[in-house]
Amino acid sequence: MSVLPDSIAMDVVEHTNNRMVLSMGPQHPSTHGVLQVITEIEGEVITKAEPEIGYLHTGIEKSAENLFWTQASTVIERMDYLSPLSNAMAYILAVEQLLGVSAEIPERAQQVRVLLCELSRIASHCVWLGTGGIDLGAISTFFYSFDLRERILDLNEFAGGARMHPNYLRIGGLNGDLPTGFLDKLDIVIDMYEPRMREMRNLLQKNPIFQDRTIDVGILTAEESLAWGITGPTLRAAGVAYDVRKAFPYSGYENYEFDVPTRTEGDAYARFLVRLDEMDEAMRIIRQIRKNLVGGPVTVADTKFSTPPKETIALSMEALIHHFKIVSESFRVPPGDVYQPVEGPRGELGYYLVSNGDNRPWRVRTRPASLYNLQVLKKIAVGELIADMVVMIGSLDPVFGEVDR
Amino acid sequence: MPSSQAPPIGATALDPTALRPPIDDAAIERITPADLLARLSALKASGYTMLLDVGAVDYLERIPRYDVVYHLLNIAADAATVGAVGKPRRVRLLVGVPHDALEVPSAVDLWPNANWPEREVFDLFGIRFSGHPDLRRIQMPDDWEGHPLRKDYPLRGPATEMTPRPAFALKSNVAAGTPASGKTAAALQRQIAAARAGGIAPAAHEAVAAAQSGTTSSSATTAGIASAKELAERPINLKTDSNEKS
Repeated sequence: MSVLPDSIAMDVVEHTNNRMVLSMGPQHPSTHGVLQVITEIEGEVITKAEPEIGYLHTGIEKSAENLFWTQASTVIERMDYLSPLSNAMAYILAVEQLLGVSAEIPERAQQVRVLLCELSRIASHCVWLGTGGIDLGAISTFFYSFDLRERILDLNEFAGGARMHPNYLRIGGLNGDLPTGFLDKLDIVIDMYEPRMREMRNLLQKNPIFQDRTIDVGILTAEESLAWGITGPTLRAAGVAYDVRKAFPYSGYENYEFDVPTRTEGDAYARFLVRLDEMDEAMRIIRQIRKNLVGGPVTVADTKFSTPPKETIALSMEALIHHFKIVSESFRVPPGDVYQPVEGPRGELGYYLVSNGDNRPWRVRTRPASLYNLQVLKKIAVGELIADMVVMIGSLDPVFGEVDR
Repeated sequence: MPSSQAPPIGATALDPTALRPPIDDAAIERITPADLLARLSALKASGYTMLLDVGAVDYLERIPRYDVVYHLLNIAADAATVGAVGKPRRVRLLVGVPHDALEVPSAVDLWPNANWPEREVFDLFGIRFSGHPDLRRIQMPDDWEGHPLRKDYPLRGPATEMTPRPAFALKSNVAAGTPASGKTAAALQRQIAAARAGGIAPAAHEAVAAAQSGTTSSSATTAGIASAKELAERPINLKTDSNEKS
């Protein structure tokens, strides 16, 4: 967080030609949050760009260290607020590794976790697609994609009680089984997905104006992507087929058939196509889960760290005691450290947790995919037109809740 | 039942990584800051082409106090075989940093993306990275004091009173002991005006007495509550304090 960095300000003094410094943001509508980019431009060409972040820093990591293991997932869901379930998934898997219960999670819980995470991947890409279209003046896409997103948020609300941050995934399983009628509502979303996606592709994919604005803009090669730590669709658009779901399978991803879409161009249009294909692959996983959803429990049997089912609390003294203990003082996690990544909509979203054996995490470190993806802006923006800045920011798809935390 | 807001400062700060349950998430290496750059470049040459993350942990009572944590990824992809990714591997480097030598060599020359996470570690932990091209604060404001993710940094910030903003000036007067009931903003304004003119306003007497009997210094402020004497010296419209002093 800063005003003009010295490096750019010095150049203004030194160069007496036509260069000028233009500060974009942090309240610019096309920065997808609070991003300030201090650019140096010569005519319309960017000669230097310095992103400034930190305007949304809320100290979530510090807050999480001061909450119980069970409470921390509520603030952690608020980091990447467009796909909160991916955050919760990574954190919860990490805690389960420390507890040593990863192998005991029931299959139904794993399937429902993947189902909701893939739904939230589609919902997150819907925001990117809609706002990315608006950046270029294509307003209609926004309404189509947000309609689809609304249906998915309705599913979140139906399952977990809240639209954006359901806090439905819990350590040891789920908050409860899926409500009656959830699968019928899911079928409606599955049925509407194909035609709706076709409409959105028709609006943008072959659109000559959209292609003019995105092809050959913000090019990243494979080597550059690796050197800059880029992950997710941005990396795959440069040709590297790295996907955490394939490389380090978690929560049963090895049981599903899906492809990892890649492109080799590495420009904004390639990232657009990769994300669209990724939405189709996510729907493919959802269909497989819908078809093969097994029955059974949704939490581990050990109610020492997984709250007993609500209906048993009024009947069993032990269930009441365990429920009270978990809510009032949580549980102790064996000392250790663990790094657990998941494939979020923006790339590798990892949690490095350190426990000292207490009922609170000693350290919660996020590996934010958005931070690393956004950092490369200062490299890819050089030499591009100032008007394409919003295209490049949109194609990197940063979420500032995650960048600043 | 512990309060959910109490910071766990008194908790034991043992080294959890030494007592780790068997988790197969990465190869773990522990090295000193002096060996760091050599080890990083060796790993990079052997295929760990991606720096995933740079973070830090404050163990408070352990020696060395801090760990700077590097996560590296080997995905065996190069320009010739793009698209083909073998079984990737991860490695984690733990670099112990003692509290009296808070300096680690920067990895920006090896990986340009080390720039922002190293700035973040500097900002939130106060660990400096020698050779970093632009070591500024990144998340906190530039004029911030202290490093918030240290364990001895309180959860809600340092307990010093900031210069009150004009909109909140009257609220803090209420906090200083003026009864909230039956007092309008205009009455508070009159009371402050009276205090400035000479004697301390009647309602503020109690606060002064409490401040003098409880603490040695009457100018000391506790937990954000200003003493009545300080209040009396404050201007009503609160332009800026710095203007008055200079």
